[in-house]
Amino acid sequence: MPSYLVQFAQSHDEFRLPEFESLAVIENVNVKFNRDEYRLDRPFLKVEIESDEEAAKLVKRAILIKSIYELWGEGENLEELHASVRETSDRWPHYMGKSFKFSVTAFGSTIVAKKSLEMINSFSFLGFDGDIDMTNPQFQFSILVDFGSERSKYMKVGTFEAEKMYLGKLVTSGSRDLVNRYNLKKRNYLGTTSMDAELSLIMANQALAGPGKLVYDPFVGTGSFLFTCSHFGAYTLGSDIDGRQIRGKGKSSIKSNIAQYDLGDRVLDTLTFDICHNPWRIDNWLDAIVTDPPYGVRAGAKKLGRKENSKKQVSLRTYEGLPMHERDDYYPPTKPYEMSEVLMDLLEFSARQLRLGGRLVYWLPTIVDEYSNEDVPQHPCMKLISNSEQNFGAWSRRLITMQKVAEAHQGEHATIPVHHHSENDVTANRVEQQVRMREEESTEEAEQNKQQPGHYAFREKYFGVF
Amino acid sequence: MRLITHNMLQCHVKNCNDNNFPLRLEEVEVELVEADFQPEFLQNIIGKLEWPAFVNTAVQLGNTNLPATIPDNAKDNEEFLKVLHTALLETHVQQGKMVCPNCSHVYPIKDGIPNMLLAEHEI
Ligand SMILES: C[S@@+](CC[C@H](N)C(=O)[O-])C[C@H]1O[C@@H](n2cnc3c(N)ncnc32)[C@H](O)[C@@H]1O
Ligand SMILES: [Zn+2]
Repeated sequence: MPSYLVQFAQSHDEFRLPEFESLAVIENVNVKFNRDEYRLDRPFLKVEIESDEEAAKLVKRAILIKSIYELWGEGENLEELHASVRETSDRWPHYMGKSFKFSVTAFGSTIVAKKSLEMINSFSFLGFDGDIDMTNPQFQFSILVDFGSERSKYMKVGTFEAEKMYLGKLVTSGSRDLVNRYNLKKRNYLGTTSMDAELSLIMANQALAGPGKLVYDPFVGTGSFLFTCSHFGAYTLGSDIDGRQIRGKGKSSIKSNIAQYDLGDRVLDTLTFDICHNPWRIDNWLDAIVTDPPYGVRAGAKKLGRKENSKKQVSLRTYEGLPMHERDDYYPPTKPYEMSEVLMDLLEFSARQLRLGGRLVYWLPTIVDEYSNEDVPQHPCMKLISNSEQNFGAWSRRLITMQKVAEAHQGEHATIPVHHHSENDVTANRVEQQVRMREEESTEEAEQNKQQPGHYAFREKYFGVF
Repeated sequence: MRLITHNMLQCHVKNCNDNNFPLRLEEVEVELVEADFQPEFLQNIIGKLEWPAFVNTAVQLGNTNLPATIPDNAKDNEEFLKVLHTALLETHVQQGKMVCPNCSHVYPIKDGIPNMLLAEHEI
């Protein structure tokens, strides 16, 4: 198969390869590459694809890929590059009489204009005789120069040389312009937890959102994922315990965002309910669940009910003759919803509601020092596809993508793996006590040891709710 | 709320497990909003619909175009798919309520948003 060169964006490094692989699934493109050649700190990856058409399909909706090039040659310096390009002479006749443009792009350093021009001219042996058209050429060629990220190595010896050079014919560019289109700064209705446009778009790709599919967000908030998934052609549904998030204020609401982005054909509905008490009559029906669960970073996690020991009544309450829960401004009493419970519920819900092959894409916040890969929740029906970290220093969040690989059966449960936290971890111990108090009322949980996952008591540690 | 959503909802009040679907629409304000025709999505979702409930609901709202049973060649029958499209995706209940046929719980719909929250004594 012919070689192509993928030029990744220098953004969200850990998300790039998972997105690339999701795109190959979405577009059903046969692509081969050597995993060992992929470097997080480099923009380039050499891949093999059947044809330009397939390469274009693969990259057209990419957020973390700038462009893809048909590879014409590579080398560690200009001489090697020339030699390698000369081997492609069978391709050259096709470009005779066609307008074209050459450019130079450098990574890890800059190349002065004079040097760029020299480099471009050094390829005159190609003999292209068409017009040079800088604005609207039929073909674009790029000399791509990678200076590498370990610059100091070269600085020391005083010569600053490229590590690798490529010549590529541009096939197509990705969809990074969408990041601007869905930019939160330009969005009509926003909340404190609206998700960044770039990440919301990447999530839609991870979810394989596309025409004919149905995607659901059970913690929909202001609707960020509805818009990006529907942008790519999927039909979407969302729900939230807090109807005020959905309705917004005045003329700003999820509805006004749908109008702004002209997605009314495909954003189906948003509903108000607690995911712990959901009214769906059906299972095996969703193609993807894409969500940012409430962990208390900004929007607190809660579920219907009252805090333990609450003496308040639980019978029907009315106000001016109308049952309280039927009032428009009703917000039900809630109790805290510990993160491990949220995760457990999310995985079990997904295992039931996704159709076979469907994907769950969600954010998992972790405390960096305590995190280990085993902390990622598991479920017998769900296979981990990718786990990409976005780091914020002491804490980070991880975008987890899972795929339903087996039908769910009664009695199968998610596991939230555990590891030790220290005896003198005051917050965690206190939270654990509270959870135990709750558990004592219920079942067998007699003597649990001090094992808890790295995200345990996350909210309390970082946001001090006690 | 579109009829596709209505077809997926049942009453979920504690211990209300029988005869809790479909929720009865009452005092509704209905609006037809045109949407792009996407046969692929319809083909994928047909098998997930509770057909008789869907037909009855559509009839209640004044749409009598749906056949009583899904035609055999449904997926390639464009005429049928277009009728389905209108009922399923273009029919919006903007205001009203949904009432459980079993326990009579009322789920209000306001500005197209169904409120499926339960009261404290119902969970
Ligand atoms: C992190 S925010 C999601 C924000 C959303 N991605 C957006 O773009 O606006 C989490 C949401 O979960 C909701 N929530 C909290 N507990 C819930 C529950 N038990 N059931 C359903 N939604 C819940 C909150 O009201 C909040 O809107
Ligand atoms: Zn009921």
